[in-house]
Amino acid sequence: MARRDGWALWIGVAATLATLVVVFYYPVGRVFADAVAVDGRLTLAPLRAVLGDPFYTGAAHTLFIDPAAVPSGIARWLAAGAPPVEFGLFGFTAYQALLSTLVSVLVGLPGAYVLARFEFPGRRFLRSVTIIPFVLPSILVAVGFLAMFGRTGLFNDLLGIVGLGPVELTFTLEIVVLAHAFYNAPLVTRLVTAAWESVDADRVETARTLGASPLRAFRDVILPQLLPALATAAVLTFVFTFMSFPIVLALGGLELATVEVWLFARVQSLDLTEAATLGAIETALSLGLLYVYLRYEARRTEPGGASRGLSRRPLVDGIRSLVDPLRVAIFAYSAVALVLFAGPLVSLVIESITTPAGQLTLDYYAFLLARQASTAAGTVRPFPAVVNSLLFGVGTLLLSIPMGVVVAVVATRGDRGSRAAEALLTAPLAVSGIVLGLGMLQALVFGTTLFGYRLTVTGPVAIVAAHAVAAYPFVSRSVTPALRSIDDRLGEAARSLGADRTRVLTDVELPLVAPALVAGAAFAFAISVGEFDSTVLLSTGVDSATMPVALERYVGDRSLGPNLGPATAMGTVLLAVTTVSFVLIDRVGGRWE
Amino acid sequence: MTRCDHWVMQRRTFLSRAGLATAGLAATAGCIGDSSNSDDGTLTVATYSSFTGEDTAGNWLKSAFEAENSEATVEFRTPENGINRFIQRKASGATVDADLFVGLNTGELVRVDEQLDEQLFTTAADSVEGADTVDPSLSFDPEGRAIPYDTGFISLVYDEGEVDAPGTFDALLEPAYENGLIAQNAQQSDPGRAFLLWTIKAKGPDGYLDYWEELVDNGVQILSDWQPAYQAYTNGEAPMVVSYSTDQVYYHGEGVDMSRHQVGFLNDQGYANPEGMAQFADADNPELAREFMSFALTEEAQKEIAVRNVQFPAVEGVEPSGDFGKYALRPPEAVTFGYDELVGKVDGWIEAWARQIAGQ
Repeated sequence: MARRDGWALWIGVAATLATLVVVFYYPVGRVFADAVAVDGRLTLAPLRAVLGDPFYTGAAHTLFIDPAAVPSGIARWLAAGAPPVEFGLFGFTAYQALLSTLVSVLVGLPGAYVLARFEFPGRRFLRSVTIIPFVLPSILVAVGFLAMFGRTGLFNDLLGIVGLGPVELTFTLEIVVLAHAFYNAPLVTRLVTAAWESVDADRVETARTLGASPLRAFRDVILPQLLPALATAAVLTFVFTFMSFPIVLALGGLELATVEVWLFARVQSLDLTEAATLGAIETALSLGLLYVYLRYEARRTEPGGASRGLSRRPLVDGIRSLVDPLRVAIFAYSAVALVLFAGPLVSLVIESITTPAGQLTLDYYAFLLARQASTAAGTVRPFPAVVNSLLFGVGTLLLSIPMGVVVAVVATRGDRGSRAAEALLTAPLAVSGIVLGLGMLQALVFGTTLFGYRLTVTGPVAIVAAHAVAAYPFVSRSVTPALRSIDDRLGEAARSLGADRTRVLTDVELPLVAPALVAGAAFAFAISVGEFDSTVLLSTGVDSATMPVALERYVGDRSLGPNLGPATAMGTVLLAVTTVSFVLIDRVGGRWE
Repeated sequence: MTRCDHWVMQRRTFLSRAGLATAGLAATAGCIGDSSNSDDGTLTVATYSSFTGEDTAGNWLKSAFEAENSEATVEFRTPENGINRFIQRKASGATVDADLFVGLNTGELVRVDEQLDEQLFTTAADSVEGADTVDPSLSFDPEGRAIPYDTGFISLVYDEGEVDAPGTFDALLEPAYENGLIAQNAQQSDPGRAFLLWTIKAKGPDGYLDYWEELVDNGVQILSDWQPAYQAYTNGEAPMVVSYSTDQVYYHGEGVDMSRHQVGFLNDQGYANPEGMAQFADADNPELAREFMSFALTEEAQKEIAVRNVQFPAVEGVEPSGDFGKYALRPPEAVTFGYDELVGKVDGWIEAWARQIAGQ
């Protein structure tokens, strides 16, 4: 087996698993153990306490405390004319996640279409920067959204110009869903764009020459190749928004609380058993969904064998094209996207140069320079934070790309149980950040006693490992569907010429799935740059502060009064640095494509 | 960096030289039990992050204390989860790794005692010079472990161009204040918790939930924490926000519209949220910790802490210099729950409240 596969692959698998065990499975397992064991004895009591609590599960709680009463309960409900049913905190959390997923797909999909099928100046730049929202700390998104969609925000000003509005969006489910779309529609756009760019033009043309209409060719040839990427993005969006936390209470309020809000409150009051139980249920639901999806994906994906990508049409092709209905729809979509994505970002930049009274100021940037010059203990300086972010980001890329590729290879083997293995290897996406933080604190920071030594795992290397573990599922989720769609015969041909599995992978398969790999890499970098919790937990002092950490410190810094000016200035720096980084990643990756 | 970390660093270097670093991770061993070299004059102070850094009370205290004690070096630890870090450390058998905690409030001390059987802090009030000068109404620890060094008062901040001062809790239920107030989640926010406790003070443990039901009906919004709430207030989402009575210290002078920074005391009260310091029972440097606490209670330090931390001094009779006295408003009456009133109750109060809000 090893000879056939090449040693490198198996070393990669072992190293991936070792890293996962240390910074993920063991810490998380320690927390979850609290959910099923009390005083060292296995018990279902904590699970039953949560699931049987109508506050958490609403009408479904009877199922867990008195299953025998369910049929009669349903009968009574039907007799009452089937009134709307509430499913408690879990029900509401799932509902808002479903809405957020729908809106993210609706907003993200046309973006992928435009980016993949049309040529226009700035297209590559736009494709590179689509995932910028991913790196933004929620406090900045909240600032940007209030400035854009608030009662006195830019959006209402714009509506006023055309004689509409005002709309009241703050403290509503709508603004929370919009913020979730802001974060996750880019995921849809980026993953589907990558898939679309990998569609084999020859097959489309063959279909057309055989008489298929453009619509038919789309449905029969292109769509099957897009669906896995689209479904991946949708499933991930659902999982992320199901576990959404800070943004919900920053824009919506406690009436729209999600499970994660309660989980955090339990950790705060050190009721760790209930926290672990809530986290375990969340993870079970998320992993279950991922598993069901992965089975679907494995059956669904058809080999493509990309050789030549589809050619793009010019977006503007003479004056007449401007009134073509398709173009008009695209321009209308662009306007919506501009409001939803550029709006909050531009508002953020404007906030960084505006005083609370509305005058222009450079004070907040002067603040950054002053912090840079400071020698006071505990001061986080902006420039080292930028450097740390970049170093950790590059470290994360170096670690997470091999990890992600290895997992993708394992996932595409098609052995029995490989779907379950893949789901488990994708688990970092399905575990609440609060649970992971708690686990890392207990297992890595406080340490684990082994052979009489208390072992602690902290410092920059541990931070990079934690980032890589959070990031590699994006690489594997992006690469797996693409890898699966490669025609097996290519690999078999290479093998018959003497190449081992590793050679086939690096020389044949990866170049074919380059767009997906680059998309995954961009996400991995974004995850690292935006990461806050484990960075703070595992750091040994302000020396390893990153941009989000600096930003959080400046939020609490009152030397210019309690305003978010300094934080928005640091946020603007973060935006600039990540924009350049994403463009670079795409350019370097593009050469390889 | 603490003594222990130095040791860890050396150990780490040794380990990686010996090729023992596993899977690319720096595994470090050590830091079990007591550190032996306790007399090297390093005082490790655990506090919240905004207490340290440029222009802060923490930084001033460090410089001034070190100037006075040439042997001493003050180092700060600012764990993200505050006091919980040390409760969990103690509970899991890891070393506490600090001498002094600065920034403890009543509810947190209650949590410390509810979570741990052992003592995390040690009684210091008798042996800290100046502890007897602290305003007795602020002392919140019956066992004398936590010594208050400053206090804030929770109040409303409102825009007088939009609404009149509500004056009472009942007034907040009137149509004039519909959709008028932004508060914070008591599960995660200090001012949010203080405001909730204030309503319990005013309406009683049996009446506060009914009161909140009416508040929610009148459109109160509960955001995660002070920062988003104040930001929403600043952006004009509502004319009132739960905040601190020191608001105008930040907002006065030319070009500032003071009408948007009016402080409103309800029922002529403000809810006091005193901050205390306490010496860890496992401190390596207990004497230095007590000296530091004494130093923080001197008149000079009390004035500096007040101005830099924008809180009121805890020692009676201290008047901070400059504009502070003019713009930091004291409520006519200060109310707060003591330690004994919160023990065994506060978690239940907050949980019942949060469930009622989220279940609406």
